[in-house]
Amino acid sequence: MRRHAFARWLPTLLLGSLLLYLVALPLLFLGVSSLRPTGMPLEPGVTFAHYAEVYGNPGFWRLVRDSAVFAAGSAAVALTLGTLLAWAVERTDMPGSGLVRALVILPMATPPLLLAIGWAMLLSPRAGAVNLVLMEWFGLQAAPFNAYSLGAMVFVQGLSLTSTAFLFLSPAFRNMDPSLEEAAMASGAGTGMLFRRVLLPLLLPALLAAGVFLLIVGFVVFEIPGTLGLPARIFVLSSQIYFLAADPPGGFPLYGQISALASVFIALLFLLGLLYRRMTAAASRYRTVTGKGFRPRRMRLGRWRWAALGGVGVYFLLAVVLPVGMLLWTSLMPFQARPSWANLSLVTLENHMDFLASPRVFEAVANTALVAVLAATLVAVIATLTAWTTIRLRAPASGVLDTLAFLPIAIPGVMMGVALIYVYLTLDPVIAIYGTVWILVVAYTTEYLSFGNRAAGGVMVQLHPELEEAGRTSGAATLLVLRRITVPLLWPAIAAIWIWVLAHVMRELAISLMLQGRDNQVVTTLLWDYWQGGEATRAAAVGVWLVVSLLVVLVAWQVLAARRGRADA
Amino acid sequence: MLEVRGLWKAYDSRPGAFSVRDVSFAVAKGEFFTLLGPSGCGKTTTLRSIAGLETPDRGEIAIGGRTVFSSRSGVVLPVARRDIAMVFQSYAVWPHMTVAQNVAFPLDALGIRGPEAAARLDRALETVGLSAFRDRPAPMLSGGQQQRVALARAVAKQASVLLLDEPLSNLDARLREQMRVELRDLQQRLGTTAIYVTHDQEEAMALSDRVAVMDNGVIVECDTPENLYLRPRTAFAARFVGQADLLPATLAARDGARWWLDTPLGRIESRCTPDSPAAPLHLLIRPEHIEFAEADAGNVVAGRITRRVFSGRIVEYFVAVGGTVLRVQGTSRTLLPASGAVRLFLPPERCVVVAG
Repeated sequence: MRRHAFARWLPTLLLGSLLLYLVALPLLFLGVSSLRPTGMPLEPGVTFAHYAEVYGNPGFWRLVRDSAVFAAGSAAVALTLGTLLAWAVERTDMPGSGLVRALVILPMATPPLLLAIGWAMLLSPRAGAVNLVLMEWFGLQAAPFNAYSLGAMVFVQGLSLTSTAFLFLSPAFRNMDPSLEEAAMASGAGTGMLFRRVLLPLLLPALLAAGVFLLIVGFVVFEIPGTLGLPARIFVLSSQIYFLAADPPGGFPLYGQISALASVFIALLFLLGLLYRRMTAAASRYRTVTGKGFRPRRMRLGRWRWAALGGVGVYFLLAVVLPVGMLLWTSLMPFQARPSWANLSLVTLENHMDFLASPRVFEAVANTALVAVLAATLVAVIATLTAWTTIRLRAPASGVLDTLAFLPIAIPGVMMGVALIYVYLTLDPVIAIYGTVWILVVAYTTEYLSFGNRAAGGVMVQLHPELEEAGRTSGAATLLVLRRITVPLLWPAIAAIWIWVLAHVMRELAISLMLQGRDNQVVTTLLWDYWQGGEATRAAAVGVWLVVSLLVVLVAWQVLAARRGRADA
Repeated sequence: MLEVRGLWKAYDSRPGAFSVRDVSFAVAKGEFFTLLGPSGCGKTTTLRSIAGLETPDRGEIAIGGRTVFSSRSGVVLPVARRDIAMVFQSYAVWPHMTVAQNVAFPLDALGIRGPEAAARLDRALETVGLSAFRDRPAPMLSGGQQQRVALARAVAKQASVLLLDEPLSNLDARLREQMRVELRDLQQRLGTTAIYVTHDQEEAMALSDRVAVMDNGVIVECDTPENLYLRPRTAFAARFVGQADLLPATLAARDGARWWLDTPLGRIESRCTPDSPAAPLHLLIRPEHIEFAEADAGNVVAGRITRRVFSGRIVEYFVAVGGTVLRVQGTSRTLLPASGAVRLFLPPERCVVVAG
């Protein structure tokens, strides 16, 4: 019996120690660091001075207010636009809805960092192209727009999250059984009552879950507040931490304060994460898919069909065409010059030639590729094993494993970076990966574990347990069943996780920036360095190539998803 | 061939509450044995425990004389090493494989290759009539064909015991009856020992050599289909295997196996009785065994038809006798009016005394 118990615990022990090492250890170091006078976890002494300094600072409440306004504002913008977009595409007779659904990968291929840079080029008070044009046309004295403001941050972040909101909500719109609406109409409900009493309650769980998720993302992101907020000294949580680490008032990183700030926020974000998890559970309970084929009812918009399409066009213009177009234009200029017929004569491929020839760029691209491929592979493997252990084996302490794998959703990239600095500065004598690409692999694997685990878990739940049991009763041992049945059946989902992580590592900045050393420059940090160093045209060239490669990856993802959809049907 | 002794299994979710309580039975080689009961009665848990997909808390299981589970000596043989094959309710046909790959999987798993594997694959496909479909991808099969793939996969393993978990419940009625005949035919041709789980009493009767009726984790009764239907010993089994009129009864007089009982219908004679009277007693009479009588005699009661339900092959009458309503089934050969006085004859050899 004892051997039996050990065998039962083995998967939990193996995965548990891996997850503890990846997730819990950095958080532990972060907590300890906040109580150390020097901020370094292994140095002696206990103090609450950092907490007093951070939370007693009159600037703290401004930080809280700006962070909250930024997160809530961008979540609200994204949720509104995403809902409208999903409704127009899935539930109205707007023309070209299939095309719109396919084109949604375009905003996804536009990293938030590039969106921010693109909009900075368009709306900067001094050199912004839109501002210059408007001032010229209307003879204005001052620039009408300011990219470096809280309002612009909310606007750009909202645009950047709209595609996420759309992907969240469109299944909810699409999978709603029309007989539920027909039953309401047959009961004598008018349009208003139909909306209030049937449609809204059915959609509410999905809307709330999407809203909470977007809110978490709004608190966690760095790229847009870092690009548009820092120059104007508008701080949100993540940019404040970056500022305290990279450009502190005293010249030396204020690790104790960073940890004190991070600890409390991670705890709060984790609570928000738990709320989100409960809501998605509630949303799936409301899921009205019956397995029966049906077509959703489409509302007839009449003349407004074209207005709806126009609105969608405006969204794509703002979220992709204008900022990416501006990047492309700038990448073709010898210096930052606004688009005009006159400037067309300046067009040069110099920045692109430079990009393709520079050894520094080559190194950054190689690093990005290495980190992205390794992290994506590790996430896919660990997430699949975790989902399999918790859902299928129902191993002991599954709840602990699941929560550990879920926790990184609450850890902002900058904080993940700081926490890993502590861990690997401390462990340097044993595991000397500080300042190398390997620390990035560890960081990204941890950061995207949460996504991977939820995605793998979702598919695992749908996989009928009898498929695997039939393998075992056929005489196959556990590993053979895993290799011949479980993994092949999960393969499309595993591949989708792999590509998703790949794309996100390619476009992420915050973690790489915090962990930047001499030997682990990646494409996004290179881009950031060029941009911060005033080399806008070079930054633009790097950005264009980044968008192109992301597009390739995401098209592959779409093709895979389409194939999976066909296999399901 | 299979022996289950003193099996106990607690619910995962509710420790202390048992889904299987002290279940024991033995199945001979070549026998078709069915576990029959309502959902949640523990029949599937018992079957999965035999397969090794669940680990019971107590008891012993031996397959072909080899102990595969014993709580006393701590033996828990893994599923893969048990001499069983199983057909699942969902068929569990692997969608990423062709028909042949599905059926050949157990041969792969057992390390059987070459000409022997090919021969066994061909034979299994032929047995279920799927030879023409061998390269068809599994998702492109109908429900009935998937059922056959699942069956062929189990047959290919040539295990001593074939376990079937409600394999016909996802098929439509017509196909179900056809597969029922094929399944019994196949089992007899191969001489396999089969353990079958179902909640459908008709299916259980038509297929089995013996049926164990389960309720609430316990085997209530275990017998041949004829005995279960005609001479059940418990009210639960009597009700579960077919329609039944059950009347509370008390023993008034007895002469060997002939008992006279006081019931709401009056004094009734039964010639189908247990060895000893245990209280409480019920008198069972099946609706199709009741006859319409012309004159008063022994076991004849007077009543009045209150309702008639005509469903083609059979006609069901509701007959009020005093305060009791009896269901009586006749064929459509003779039709009685939907209301009116009648006399009913309850044949003593079909009046069964049951406990509970």
